[in-house]
Amino acid sequence: MEEVRGEVLDKTIILHLSGHIDSNNAGQAWDEIREILAGQHGHAVEIDASKLDYISSAGLRVLLRVRKDHPELKITGVSSEVYEILDMTGFTQMITVEKAYRVVSIEGCEEIGRGANGTIYRIDQDNVVKVYNNADALAEIQHEREVARTALVLGIPTAISYDVVRVGDSYGSVFELLNARSFSKILANEPDKFDWCVKEYVDLLRKIHGTVVPDGELPKIKSTVVSWGRFMRDYLPEDESKKLMALIQAVPDDNHMIHGDYHTKNVELNGDEVLLIDMDTLAVGHPIFELASMFNAFIGFYETNPERIKEFQGFDYETSNRFWKSVLAAYIGTDDQERLQAVEDKARVIGYTRLIRRSIRRHGLEQEKTKAEIEWWTAKLIDLLHRVDSLLFLPEEIVLDADTNNLQAAIEFIDKHLAEAGCSMKAQMQLDVSAEEIFVNIANYAYAPGKGKVRIKMTVEGEPPVAKLTMIDCGRQYNPLEKEDPDVSLSAEERQIGGLGIYMVKQSVDDRTYEYRDGQNILTMIKSIQ
Amino acid sequence: MIYLDDNARIDLHLHTTVSDGTDTPEEIARLVKKAGIDLFSVTDHDALKGCKVIAGLPDLDAAFITGVEFSCKDEEGKYHILGYGYDPDAKPINDLISKGHGFRMKKTKERLEFIKDRFGFEFAKQEIKELLELDNPGKPHIANLMIKHGYANDKKEAIRKYIDQKRFKSEYVRPDEAIRAILESGGIPVLAHPFYGNGGDLIIGEEMRERLVRLIGFGIKGVEAYYSGFTDKLISQMLAFAEEYELYVTAGSDYHGHNKIIELGDNNLDRVGDGPAGLKRFLNDVRTIKA
Repeated sequence: MEEVRGEVLDKTIILHLSGHIDSNNAGQAWDEIREILAGQHGHAVEIDASKLDYISSAGLRVLLRVRKDHPELKITGVSSEVYEILDMTGFTQMITVEKAYRVVSIEGCEEIGRGANGTIYRIDQDNVVKVYNNADALAEIQHEREVARTALVLGIPTAISYDVVRVGDSYGSVFELLNARSFSKILANEPDKFDWCVKEYVDLLRKIHGTVVPDGELPKIKSTVVSWGRFMRDYLPEDESKKLMALIQAVPDDNHMIHGDYHTKNVELNGDEVLLIDMDTLAVGHPIFELASMFNAFIGFYETNPERIKEFQGFDYETSNRFWKSVLAAYIGTDDQERLQAVEDKARVIGYTRLIRRSIRRHGLEQEKTKAEIEWWTAKLIDLLHRVDSLLFLPEEIVLDADTNNLQAAIEFIDKHLAEAGCSMKAQMQLDVSAEEIFVNIANYAYAPGKGKVRIKMTVEGEPPVAKLTMIDCGRQYNPLEKEDPDVSLSAEERQIGGLGIYMVKQSVDDRTYEYRDGQNILTMIKSIQ
Repeated sequence: MIYLDDNARIDLHLHTTVSDGTDTPEEIARLVKKAGIDLFSVTDHDALKGCKVIAGLPDLDAAFITGVEFSCKDEEGKYHILGYGYDPDAKPINDLISKGHGFRMKKTKERLEFIKDRFGFEFAKQEIKELLELDNPGKPHIANLMIKHGYANDKKEAIRKYIDQKRFKSEYVRPDEAIRAILESGGIPVLAHPFYGNGGDLIIGEEMRERLVRLIGFGIKGVEAYYSGFTDKLISQMLAFAEEYELYVTAGSDYHGHNKIIELGDNNLDRVGDGPAGLKRFLNDVRTIKA
C-alpha cells in the first residue's frame, strides 16, 4: 500500500505516511504499521507526515493506536492543514507534533544583525529571519522563544518569533520587524543621533537590569562565568588564577535580568519603539557581567585590531570607544572619570577572561597571530588582577517609573549604597523613611493623573561619610519643604491631615534643599551616616 | 438497574457478524468476559438480530444490554445513533429496522446492477444470493466480492473507483425517526462517537454544540463520551457538554473484531468508578437483560 512505508534509522523506526488516510484505508494502514513495528522492541517510533495530505477520524485512530504501544511517539513534518486537525482534536497535547518547515531563501537579503549563534536577515518589508549557525538548532530556537516570551511578560520590549523555517541546511526563526534599524546602523549613518542613542540604549539597559526574574526562569550567568574562571587555571599564574576565582565567587547571586550580548546590533528601532532582539543569551545575574560583555563588544574584541570593528558594526573604533564611555557614564550616573575607570576595570577583568578563553578554545595556542593577542590580553588581565579587589559596583543613579510599586526598588538602591559605606542602622532607617516619603509624594502627585519618571541619585563620600540623596522628577512644580510644619504639640485628633511626613524628613536629615531647574523638581537630602 | 462496583469495566459499542464485525454474537458473548468486561452491549448497524441471539443464550458471564446503531441522515448531516435497553420485540424499533433493511436491499441491488452495466463486473448467482441474505449487506461486502473476482485490488479501489461512481438519491432513516423508535420501544437513544459524526467526519467546537442541541430537540438522551478514537481533550469536551445538557454518558470501543484496529474494551474508561454522574445515572436507568 502506498500510504505507509517503514524505515529504520539508528534506533528509530520512521513510518512515512502519505496521501489520504481515511475510513477506506485506515484498517489496512494499521495492518501495515503493525507489521513494520512487529518485533522491533526498544526502538523509538516516529511518524513522518511530510507527505500526508489529509487524515480523517479513522486515521486519527491509527495514530492513537500507535501511541498506545509507543507512548514516546513523535510526528514530524506535519502540514498546516493536518496540524490544525491534530491540534483541534487534542493530539498535539498527547503526542509530540512538529510542523513542517517552510523553506526560506536569504539570497540577496540584507544582513541586519549578527549575534553569537546566528545572523539576522531581512526577508521582506515586514519580516526578518534569524538563521542559526548550528545546523541542528531546533532546541536553541525553542529556548530563545521561551526566554523571549519570559522577557516580554516581564515588560521587556522584544520581538517573538512566530514561525520556524528551513534556510538551506539550517533552521531560522521568523520575526515581524517593520522598518527596523539597528542602533549600529543609526550610529554609523546618523552621527547627530549619537546622544539620543546613548540615552535610549541606557534606558533600555536599566529597564533590563531593573527587571526581577522569577526563580528558575532564566539561567544564572554567574555559573557560566565561574566556568570561565576555572578554565583560566591552566593559563594564569597560580596567585592570579586564585584571585580571579575569588573575585568571581564574591559576586552575590542576583535575580535581575541581564541580556548577555547587549551590543548595538541587538537593539533595534522599530517605528518609535526600541526593541531588544537576539534573546538567547538572556540570564539573571549581577550587572558587572553585562558590562563585561558590553566592554568586549565595543572595545575588547577590537583593541588589538581596531580596523575589524567597521566590518561588524559599521561604525569605526573611535565612535565605538566614545559610545561605550558615554553609555557607561550615563549608566553609572556620574562624570567622575576615576570612578568610571574603576568600573571599567572590573568589566575588563571578566571581559579579558572571556576573550582569552574564547580564543584558546577556537584557535589553540599555536597560531602565531592569535597567540600574540592572547598574550596581550593575558598581560592586561594579570595587571588588572593586581589592582582590582572587587567586581562589585553601584550605579549612582537609577530611573524608575514614578509608581508606588517601585518604592521597594528605590529603597533597595539606597540601602545598597548605605550598606557598602557601613551606615549605622539608625541613619539608614531615617534616610529610608525620608526617601519613602518623597518617593510616594512624587508617585501620587507629581504627574497625576498622568505618568512619569523619577530619577534617584545617591553618593556617599568623605570621612566621616556623608550620604547625598537626590530625587528628581519632571512633574508639576512643587516644593515639599515649603509645607507648613504641623503643630506636633496638638493631640492626634486636632492635627491636620498630612504634612507630618515632610516634617519627619526635615527632622531626619542634616540638610535638605529644593530647586526647580529646567522643568525639574530637584530635592536633595544630606545626612552624615555614622 | 444494574449494580457494578467501581472497578468494573464496560463496553457498550460492539459489532458482530450480523453487521460488519468478524465475531458471531455467540463468540462476542464469550470474548467479553475474557477481556474483563462486566457489562456489554452489542450494537450492530441497523440490526437487532445479534441482540436477540445473545438475549436467548442460556447463560451469560457478563451483564448485557440490548443495543443497536442506526445510520441516520438529514439535511444537516449524518449521524450514528445508538439505542440501548429497548424491548427487542417492540413494534416501533422492529418496524424501523425493516424499513432501513428495505432501503439497504434496494440500494445493494441497484449497485450490483450498476457495476455490471458500467464495468461488466458479474458474480455467480449463489454469491449474490448469499450477499442479499446478509442482515446488512453494504459497500464493503460488494467490494470483497470484487476483490475475490480480481475486479479490484483492494477495498479502497473497489469502492472509490467503481462502486462510488454511482450516487443514489438515497432514501434514509432520519435521526428523529430513529430516536422516536428507540424511545417508543423502551430504550435510551445515545449519540455515537459524537465528534466523528457518521464515523469519518470531524465535528468540533460550536458545530458540535449546534448538532447536539438539534438532537436534544429530537429527544436524544445521551452521548458516547468515552470512545476508543477520542483523545483526552475530546473526552473532556464531551463530558462538559453532557454535564451542561444533563445527558447520559456511555463508553464504547466500536470493536469490529479483526476488521479494525480497535480492541475489545478499549474506550478510554478503565473503570466505571472513573466515570461521571451521567454514566451512573445511565447504568441506573437502562434496562438490562441479565447479569
